Amino acid sequence: MWLLNWLPNWIFYAMGLIGVLTLVVTYFIKFLPIPFVYMYKTPLQLLSIAMIVIGTFMAGAIYDNEAWLARVKELEAQVAESEKKSVEKNVEIVEKIVHKEKVIKEKGDDIIKYIDREIVKKEEVIKYIENCPVPKDIIDAHNAAAAMGKK
Amino acid sequence: MKAVILTITLLLSGCTMFVPVKRNFPEAPVTLMVKCPQLETVQGDKVAITDMLKTIVNNYRLYYECSNRVEGWGDWYVEQKKIFDSVK
Repeated sequence: MWLLNWLPNWIFYAMGLIGVLTLVVTYFIKFLPIPFVYMYKTPLQLLSIAMIVIGTFMAGAIYDNEAWLARVKELEAQVAESEKKSVEKNVEIVEKIVHKEKVIKEKGDDIIKYIDREIVKKEEVIKYIENCPVPKDIIDAHNAAAAMGKK
Repeated sequence: MKAVILTITLLLSGCTMFVPVKRNFPEAPVTLMVKCPQLETVQGDKVAITDMLKTIVNNYRLYYECSNRVEGWGDWYVEQKKIFDSVK
């Protein structure tokens, strides 16, 4: 509530208290020896009732405002904590991905090295390579499959 | 009358409430943002079966690398949602 940002809380408590005191005093105003004050009895009572109403309302508003501010602080703390957790989780996920990617790469490289080191040297494979080059249709079909996702 | 209007306006202005807590969308790791590469094709007219095999092996590798990142996106979403929902 913007009014609470402008004015200190005690003003509204004081307003309510003054309202109560003024209302009480107006009932004893007739005992005062000053006659012209008695003329203001009704306006003073109205004013004090207005002050009590505003004071009571604002006391509720202050309570509500403080409850909201506490909730905001709690949320801010939770958000800060969640942002920290989010960053930590990101690091964890990246580490997991990078590790798995490294394993995949190593396994792929190992298989290719194995092909170069062992398979190409096997007699039956050498014979096969010499006599049977892969037909162009098969290569084209493979390439078409490999490129099917190209935009 | 003016005083009544002013008082009502002042009192009702207390009803305006906004939540000043700003939440940032979690940043996705750069590793996940990398696009999956195109699969390799076999080049040349006279190709040995071993060369073709190597291309195929390499393509499998590319597939697994890419699927690893896709799984990473899944993990990222599940974990970030869990963290997001924990703020109440």
